[in-house]
Amino acid sequence: MIRAEAVAFTYPNGFRALQGFSFEIKAGEFVALIGANGAGKTTLLKLLGGLLKPTAGRLMVGGLDTSRVRVAELARRVGFLFQNPDHQLFLPTVREELAFGPRNLGLKGRALAERAAGAAAAVGLTPYLEANPRQLSKGQRQRVALASILAMEPPVLVLDEPTTGQDYREALEIMTIIQQLHRQGHTVLCVSHDMEMVACFAERALVLGGGKLLLDGPLAAVFAREDILAATGLLPPQAIQLARAYQAAGLLPPVTTIEELYAAIIGVLRGKKDARQVLPA
Amino acid sequence: MPARSFLHELNPLTKVAWSLAVITVAFAFQQPLPLLGLWASVLVVALAGGILKTILPAIRGLIIFAGIFILFQIFLIGEGNTVFTLIPGLGFGRVTDVGLTACTMLALRMLAMTSTIPVILATTPPKEMIVAFVEKLRVPYVYALMLVTSLRFIPTLQEELHLIVQAQRARAYDLESRNIFRRLAGIVPLALPLLLVSVQRARTMAISMETRGFGAGPRTSLRTSTFSALDAGVIAACLLCTLALVLIALR
Repeated sequence: MIRAEAVAFTYPNGFRALQGFSFEIKAGEFVALIGANGAGKTTLLKLLGGLLKPTAGRLMVGGLDTSRVRVAELARRVGFLFQNPDHQLFLPTVREELAFGPRNLGLKGRALAERAAGAAAAVGLTPYLEANPRQLSKGQRQRVALASILAMEPPVLVLDEPTTGQDYREALEIMTIIQQLHRQGHTVLCVSHDMEMVACFAERALVLGGGKLLLDGPLAAVFAREDILAATGLLPPQAIQLARAYQAAGLLPPVTTIEELYAAIIGVLRGKKDARQVLPA
Repeated sequence: MPARSFLHELNPLTKVAWSLAVITVAFAFQQPLPLLGLWASVLVVALAGGILKTILPAIRGLIIFAGIFILFQIFLIGEGNTVFTLIPGLGFGRVTDVGLTACTMLALRMLAMTSTIPVILATTPPKEMIVAFVEKLRVPYVYALMLVTSLRFIPTLQEELHLIVQAQRARAYDLESRNIFRRLAGIVPLALPLLLVSVQRARTMAISMETRGFGAGPRTSLRTSTFSALDAGVIAACLLCTLALVLIALR
């Protein structure tokens, strides 16, 4: 679905945001894009949305070369959710806001109304269709922005920190929605600083640092490379760190996911009469 | 301010005095040639200060503006001998020698006067400007700050606008429409978020200033505004030149 071939990008001011790397994301994958601020994450997303064009290399989305097609055309294939929903919302009702994208794609009448209603339902905003988007909470506005992208029915979703500035409940809500979309067949590439969220939802991670692709692999393999993660200022989720500490003490078999960790802990606890026996002194 | 030059060293008020001198002289002359010379002198000052390259985009914008200004005015002046006519058969778009001179003169006057502004802005940190206005001209601090803050907001707004344009393009919004009326109507999806985001920003800024004690009592400045010998010299030179040039112009 997404194929990057030695993609590089240099900003007009000379800043080399992406130093040329390749990767491939297959249809239906849920990939987390992680890395410190300034690592090039947002730049990569903007390249995928066609908002910036690679200065070298090639970036293909759904068989289209992003530097050859117009942004409006690419919008049918790539839904780009920006960090700040307030950069998008300008219409008086949620319904109109959701219809803006599909209308730009040429939809009219019932098809248009259905797209808006469908997108609202997908993010649980149906009761708010007539509300003013600006009077909704930050989490709800983020969902309006997400729905306004979904209304164009793009197979690929690229999301720039969809959970920033939201409380845990709101963040979990939006990630659950994204997970549902993924299960329905969307390919998801999601930037996040929240390792716990990443561990819960993504299957694979790309780690960027200083414009280079440092790691690319299944989540467990990426979290195992603590040395590289630490160099970019990242730590694996606490649960994974805990599992590693238990393993080092010989108390648990090796695990790679949080589910396996739960299972291993419960298994060990069941084998002992007293839970305190398994804990290190 | 990376480049340091005598322009950067001058007191902001000295530069304002220079700007006022240029404006006075610009109004004294009625012929294109001296005004062209005046404008050239402003650009020479910029060159000497090493900032001509920095302010070139602003100067180019002003030239375009002057061009539009000429275009709007030139067909409205009917006096004098006809130089050429746009559509000879209808007598439409008649351009006269008087009109040509008058418009060139007005455009050059505007250029000479306005070109001093980017020179001042490119060589003066906003903070120094505030301190100079407050200490030397007794302008109330709040007003000086308001002026400088609004200038400071321009690049911030440009950044926001850039993001908004990208966000709307990601929603298949086409900004490259050829039709001028559709383009004008097309500003709404950009202008509205920009307005709302900037109001939000301004409010946040007001609150954050208040939480840091803004308006709590008499303020002191870390650096004070001082006039050096160079400032005195430049102001004297500006005064003398202005006086001489005005006398020549009115003679």
